[in-house]
Formats: sequence, structure tokens, C-alpha cells
Amino acid sequence: MKKVYDFKWEDLGNLEEGRPNLGGETSVVVYRLMQFTFKDVFSKELGKEKTCELFVKAGLLAGREFCRNVLNCALPFDEFIADLKAKLIVLKIGVLQVEQANMEELNFMLTVSEDLDCSGLPIFGEAVCDYDEGFIAGILKEYTGKDFTAREIDCWATGDRTCRFEVKPVEK
Amino acid sequence: MNSTQVLNAIGSCLARAMERGLGKNGLVFPVACQETEDDDCRNSCRNLEQIFAQMNETYRFAEALANGELKANVSRSNIFAMPLKALQASLRYLTWQTNQVADGDLSQHVDFLGEFSLSFNRMIESLREKDSLEQRLKTITDVLGEGVYLVDPEGHLIFANPEAERLLGYGFQEMAGELVLHAIYKQYADGTFFTPEGTQLVTAVQIGQSYDNDDCVFACKSGRLMPVSLACRPVITGGRLEGTVIAFHDITEQKRHQRSLQTINALLEKQASTDALTGIYNRLKFSKLLALEISRARRYHSSMAIIMFDIDKFKDINDTYGHQAGDSVLIDMARVINANIRATDIFARWGGEEFMVIATGCTLEQGMQLAEILRIRVAEKIFSVPRAVTASFGVSAFRAGDNEISLTNRADHALYQAKENGRNRVEAEDAAS
Ligand SMILES: [Zn+2]
Repeated sequence: MKKVYDFKWEDLGNLEEGRPNLGGETSVVVYRLMQFTFKDVFSKELGKEKTCELFVKAGLLAGREFCRNVLNCALPFDEFIADLKAKLIVLKIGVLQVEQANMEELNFMLTVSEDLDCSGLPIFGEAVCDYDEGFIAGILKEYTGKDFTAREIDCWATGDRTCRFEVKPVEK
Repeated sequence: MNSTQVLNAIGSCLARAMERGLGKNGLVFPVACQETEDDDCRNSCRNLEQIFAQMNETYRFAEALANGELKANVSRSNIFAMPLKALQASLRYLTWQTNQVADGDLSQHVDFLGEFSLSFNRMIESLREKDSLEQRLKTITDVLGEGVYLVDPEGHLIFANPEAERLLGYGFQEMAGELVLHAIYKQYADGTFFTPEGTQLVTAVQIGQSYDNDDCVFACKSGRLMPVSLACRPVITGGRLEGTVIAFHDITEQKRHQRSLQTINALLEKQASTDALTGIYNRLKFSKLLALEISRARRYHSSMAIIMFDIDKFKDINDTYGHQAGDSVLIDMARVINANIRATDIFARWGGEEFMVIATGCTLEQGMQLAEILRIRVAEKIFSVPRAVTASFGVSAFRAGDNEISLTNRADHALYQAKENGRNRVEAEDAAS
């Protein structure tokens, strides 16, 4: 057995062949069940801080792969965002909205409503969308070639009705 | 306070609020929690106090949003404000979205905002249609080969197609919003300046009238003056003058062509009126000029004389020295005469070795004097043939009732007399005939 696993988009498998009757979709409950049980187990093994860090990392990888395989990086920014918005809806990930976009300094204020990870959660008092933070940063890294940090400043789990992400380039 | 007293206090507080609204201070919880009768009552009162505070905060938050303060804050734990936060996020997003559209981004869509989404997306759709219509128009004006400007009724440039940019050298961006005609329409073809204000073109733009001009000059950015043909058409929508389309093209080539045509015409005209060998007027032109001079003499009762002369024994010269020598004698003859008549006199080859001079303003005597001078100059001249060349002259002067034929006939007769009387002489017309 290999020591490490390298993710490849093809590993997602052929769903048409594999799920001829059930199809490519599943329930959000199942998705969250997996996320939060992972979080439970990881945090007990690695501590919560490390767990969050790993979730962000995984999200980043997912964002980059998603961008590479699903989005069109050749589009100009406006159209890229429009395309991203549409794909996120089609894949039922969430409703992306832009509140601010500064193309010179490359900082953005984005919101995701009906977020797959957190919408409808009880109020924990802390933002929970670590995976989303990575996902957004990953997409932007793939599109611009630059490193970004996305920080979730509002979340359903903090009492908001939309997740709000402050996205900035990583300072070197 | 016991529970009943607490309930009564809260009840009357709420009744007042429902009657008069929240007022400046909002809902003020009417009970001091620590003064209630037991722990249960105290806890309930504390929760209620918090709810009151959250409602007040929500009210202020809603008010701020209603006033368009999209940066307003509300505490995270406020359970009443949550849908308002969703509204706030949507409004913030729509602000960005609207700015995007204003900046020309027509790729965005708005989702899940009910009727608003529909309206917004319809607006985008119609803007896209307009955009594509504009693109189509732009393509048309691009391939048209005509410079096209669109100006508003004050004359400020709204649109210029690439051909207009190419022709005049001004990029659209540098001229957008400027009074473009004041920059390009200010000089005549000869370079002198004029004020565009009040010209037919500028007035046509101002009042929205059609105007065409095939003989106009536009000043290029380089300073070059370009002859143009232009057409001006007002754009009127809903009875209102929106602006004017000015279409124009370079007619430099056409002008050049026109000029060369004029040169050719002048040349042809000259050829038709000139004797090919000597370069002086031919008989056809002479007849026209004679008719003109006769009518002038008739109208102004002025004098004029005509001198008809011919080279003596020209046939001999031709026979002896050849036609080429004869031709060169004719050419030299024309030169000698031309050099000795006045600028106002008209000189022509009548045919063969015969010539005519119209001595304008001359009486018979003055005509005789001129003829005599010419006779002497000819006799003195050394021609290219090795013999003396002379000429005989007949002079007649205009009389009332003369026409070209009568006047010419009398000169011809006088010339005949000069020949009869021994050649190299001047004879006047017969006074009696
Ligand atoms: Zn969240």
C-alpha cells in the first residue's frame, strides 16, 4: 500500500455507469454527516486547530481541481464570476454573491448563501466553513496564479444568514 | 414584584407601544429584574429583557437598512435580525451588481431574489440586445468606408467609427465629449480660418436638420486639410433631437481628378483654337473673336481695323527650299508679328500663308500705320531661307452696318491691290466700296 494518496479528478469515478438509478446527486445530510464526523474524529486525534487547518488545505485542493476541471480560466473576470456563480448553483454548492471586488489590489468580499456546509446550523458562535475558505482561495489561486487567504467573517453558525468571506492575496 | 404585577407592567408597556409605536427610546423593559419575587420569575424577566433589547436593536437595524445604510451592524446573537441580515447581504450584492452593469459587465445573473431577479435579468437581457444591436451598427459603420461621427445637439462627440479615426487622425477617446466640429471644421481649402459657429453645418447639427456638402474641408489632427464630401442627418427619437450623424469621405482623389479634367479641357480648348504649326489662333477662333469685336465696336461705337496679309511668293519658297523651310518661315513670321503688335491686338493664321490681325480700337489710319510697321519689320527680319521674305498687307476698318464678311472682304480686296501694285506694300480698303 502506498504511503500517501494523490487526488486525481478521475478518482471521482464514472457516476453514470456507477449509479445508473440513483444518479450523481445525494443529500446534504449525507455530505454534512461526513464533514462533521470527520471534524469530530480529527479534532480528537489532532486538536481543533490542526483539524481546521487541514480542512482549509483540503478545501484549497478541491477549489483548484474544481477550477481546473469545471471552470474556464480563460474567461475575463466578470464572465468568470458569472460562470462560477452559475456552476455553484447547478452543483447546489451555494449561491455566490460578490459584495466588493478590487481588481487592482485583488481583494474581495464574497458571500455564499444556502451554503452546503453551514446554512441552517444552530448558532455555535463561531464560523465553521473552513473547507469553504480553502475552496474559495483555491479557485482564485487557480484563476489568478496567486496565493489567497479567504477568511469567513460571518457564518450561519455565527448568527448570520449568509457566509461572508474576506479574500486577500497572501502577503509576501 | 410578584408574577402578576410583572405581567401587568409588561402588558401596559406593550399596549402603549402598540398604540404609539416604539418612539425614540424603543421598548423599555418595565421591570427591574432583581426586584422580582423569586428566581424563576427573575430568570424569565432577564430573558424577556434581552428579547426587548434585541427587538430594539432589530428595529434600529431595519431603519438603517431602509435608509440605505448597507454597512449597518447588528449583534450576532440577535435572532430577530437574521432575515434582515440576509436582506442586507442581498442589497450589498445588488449594489456591486449594478455597478458592474454600469461598467459594462452584462455577463451577470441575479438568482433567487424573486421578482427582483426576473426584473434584473430582463434588464440585462435588453441591455445585451442593445449591445448587440450597437455592435452590429458598429460593424456596419466599420465596413462602410465612410467616416461616421455621432454628435449630440450641442455638437459633443458621442461616437466615431474607425474610418473617421483613420481619416482625420483623432482617436475616439481623445475627442469623446468634445466639440469635434470646432476641431476639424474651421478652415477653408486655402487654409484661412473661419468660426464654425453659425456655419450651415454647425447650425444643421444644432437644430437637427439634414445637410449635405460636396465641397467641404476638414482639418486632420496632422494639420492637413482634407477635402470631404459630407452628409448630415438628425437622429430623432420620440420627437426629440438625440443628435446628428455626420458621414463623410475623403474626396482628395476626386478633386485631383477634377483638376486634371479641367487641365485636359483647357488643353483641348486651346488645341481647338490654336494653329498647330505657329501656336497663334486658328481661323475658327479668329472668326469667333472677330464677331465678338465687331459686336463690341457696334455697341460702343468704337473703332477697329483689321489687317490681312500674306507672304509674298510663298509657293516659290516652298518649291525651292522644301516644305520644312516653308514651315519655318511661317513660324518666324508669326514670331515677328507677335513681337510687334499690342497685347490687345488679336493675331491669327487665316490659312496657308495668309494671316489676320485685329487692331482693336484703331481707325483705318492707325491700322495702316500698324500694318506699315509690321511690313518693315518683316522685310528687315532675316528668315531661315537665303532670300528676302516680304509680305503684302490689306487694311480695312469697321463701318456701321459691317459684318464679319463685309469687313474681311474689303481687307481681302485691299490685299489683292497690294499684290497687284508690286507686293511688299500696304493698301487700304477702297473708301467707295
Ligand atoms: Zn458558513
